[in-house]
Amino acid sequence: MSEPILSARDVVVKFSLRGQILTAIRGASLDLYEGKTLAIVGESGSGKSVFTKTFLGMLDANGWVDSGSIMFEGMDLAKLKTEREWLKIRGKKIAMIFQDPMTALNPLRTVGMQIQEVLELHQGLKGEEAKARTIEILGQVGISDPAMRYHQYPHEFSGGMRQRVVIAIAVACNPRILICDEPTTALDVTIQAQILELIRGLQKKLGLTIIYITHDLGVVANVADDVAVMYAGDIIEYGTAEEIFYNAQHPYTWALLSSLPQLGIKGQPLYSIRGTPPNLFNEIKGDAFAPRNPRALKIDFVKRPPYFQVSPTHYARTWLLDPRAPKVEPPATIKAMRAKYARDAI
Amino acid sequence: MNMIRYTLRRLWQSTVTVFIVLTAVFLLMRLLPVEGYFKDAYDKMQPEQRENILRSLGLLDPWYIQLKNFYAKLFRGDLGQSIVYRPKVPISEILSAKIPYSVKFGLTAMALSLALGLAMGVIQAREKGKFWDKIFTAYIVFINAVPAAVYLIFTQLYVTSVTKLPILFDRTKPSSWILPAVSMSFGGIAGYAMWMRRYMVDELNKDYIKLARAKGMSSTAIMVKHVMRNAFVPMAQYLPTSVLATISGSIYIESLYSIPGMGGLLVDAISIQDNTLVQALVLIFSSLGIIGLFLGDVLMALFDPRIKLEKRGGAR
Repeated sequence: MSEPILSARDVVVKFSLRGQILTAIRGASLDLYEGKTLAIVGESGSGKSVFTKTFLGMLDANGWVDSGSIMFEGMDLAKLKTEREWLKIRGKKIAMIFQDPMTALNPLRTVGMQIQEVLELHQGLKGEEAKARTIEILGQVGISDPAMRYHQYPHEFSGGMRQRVVIAIAVACNPRILICDEPTTALDVTIQAQILELIRGLQKKLGLTIIYITHDLGVVANVADDVAVMYAGDIIEYGTAEEIFYNAQHPYTWALLSSLPQLGIKGQPLYSIRGTPPNLFNEIKGDAFAPRNPRALKIDFVKRPPYFQVSPTHYARTWLLDPRAPKVEPPATIKAMRAKYARDAI
Repeated sequence: MNMIRYTLRRLWQSTVTVFIVLTAVFLLMRLLPVEGYFKDAYDKMQPEQRENILRSLGLLDPWYIQLKNFYAKLFRGDLGQSIVYRPKVPISEILSAKIPYSVKFGLTAMALSLALGLAMGVIQAREKGKFWDKIFTAYIVFINAVPAAVYLIFTQLYVTSVTKLPILFDRTKPSSWILPAVSMSFGGIAGYAMWMRRYMVDELNKDYIKLARAKGMSSTAIMVKHVMRNAFVPMAQYLPTSVLATISGSIYIESLYSIPGMGGLLVDAISIQDNTLVQALVLIFSSLGIIGLFLGDVLMALFDPRIKLEKRGGAR
């Protein structure tokens, strides 16, 4: 396997909140490969957004990277401190798009100016040249009559169109990595597919590496090469999309997949994960998911599991993979998935 | 084109409003008891004497005749003569002596409040929760909580003794302009700072700021290009009104520094029932107020592209 273009190791992110320290990311690691699409999945508050924000230095003012490294182009992003250093990365090398396109654009400036701003900032284009390039990019993201649209304001665009504009802003400078923070959550289903298709097309054309942050496993199945599952500020399982869907190892991944309506078994109530995620103000002992895991082992409450390798591309942080662990049966849905996978493989 | 049509329509509506206000005040003044026109002399006069005076002032005519005469004169540009305040002196003469003082002080105070208030608000928003934000917030709270008379008198007494600035206004001494103008701007500074800070913080928390940061814009560029302009839009609407309000004069500060301005003139004129003076002042003040609102709307429409000037047919 080739060198990763971005490699995060044991990243710890802390926030100071009302005098208390909250550990939002607890030593998460991640490798990102050129041209691939990685999806980070997990429930709300699991730290998906916060983790990727550290790649851009966009944590809120009360948060900081406490330890760990994020290697990108020979630089350790975790060590960058000043805004000036970040400005060389943000928007230029690593770009990000956000969930709600309705509010992501400045309502008082024309759409064209908002894209052009990036070009002027990072590529030094000016005047007519910048304008021509902006119109070209607008066309590229599928906006018809871009020369006219250039002069319009965001309120004259629909939600899907605005997300196209946001994408145009993000890709205007040919970044190497594009982080999409739930890019389709706020859009209706028909538009969702179009936006995913657009991102896929741009990825091919521009050779982008993409990180999707989502809790929609449907989107994951649709777009991802690799999947990272996050729980309570940690990546607990990492593998190719196929490995995660058909050969999941971590009990949390099992639980997540079992609660998918599409995988549910007819006539049986839909599975839901009991309990609530751990309080990140407290120190978490052992496996963070253990208190909600009906199959938890004794050691899960005592010692944090290391990553066990399942295949060269597949890792999971669960004691179940330790050779000494007792045999634990996965839930029925997971067994069905595995069986289907085994059948297809033959 | 739309802008012009919109402006004209609003101008027409504004003019009509001014005349409605003026007519209403005119009629209300006619409802006041006639005793008021004579003050203490009432008891000493014979009923015939009183009637003669009232007749000579035209106050015994039916109200619609009076109204007609008033408007006929007004359209010839004649505001009439004062009847009680300074009898037989043309209103235009009384006002033209006073207006310049109030306008000059008002505009100076306004310029000061705008410049300092907006700057303070911007600094507060940038340094939210830090030293300067707290200092300026303390100032704003002080100005709003303490009765104006208290800090204005203190300013007059102590600042003059420390700086040797004149304690009363004297139009031959330029240095005597400073304190009244500064005093008049205290409230404005606090108001503008408070609103500017508030609107800027509102803008700073919006999603498009996140995207602008992700674009790689520096925080200074974001402030200048995105936040300040957007924060100014909601303020633009109220700006002209407040400018014009300061022009009409500050009752308290004008009397404190004995400035011969317009402040308080309307209240005096109503209490002595000087009908013509009241009408002239109402005409001026209501015009100023309505022009202020009108300019505010036009400014908003200029700044905010989301405001559509023509009527839309049906739902979108």
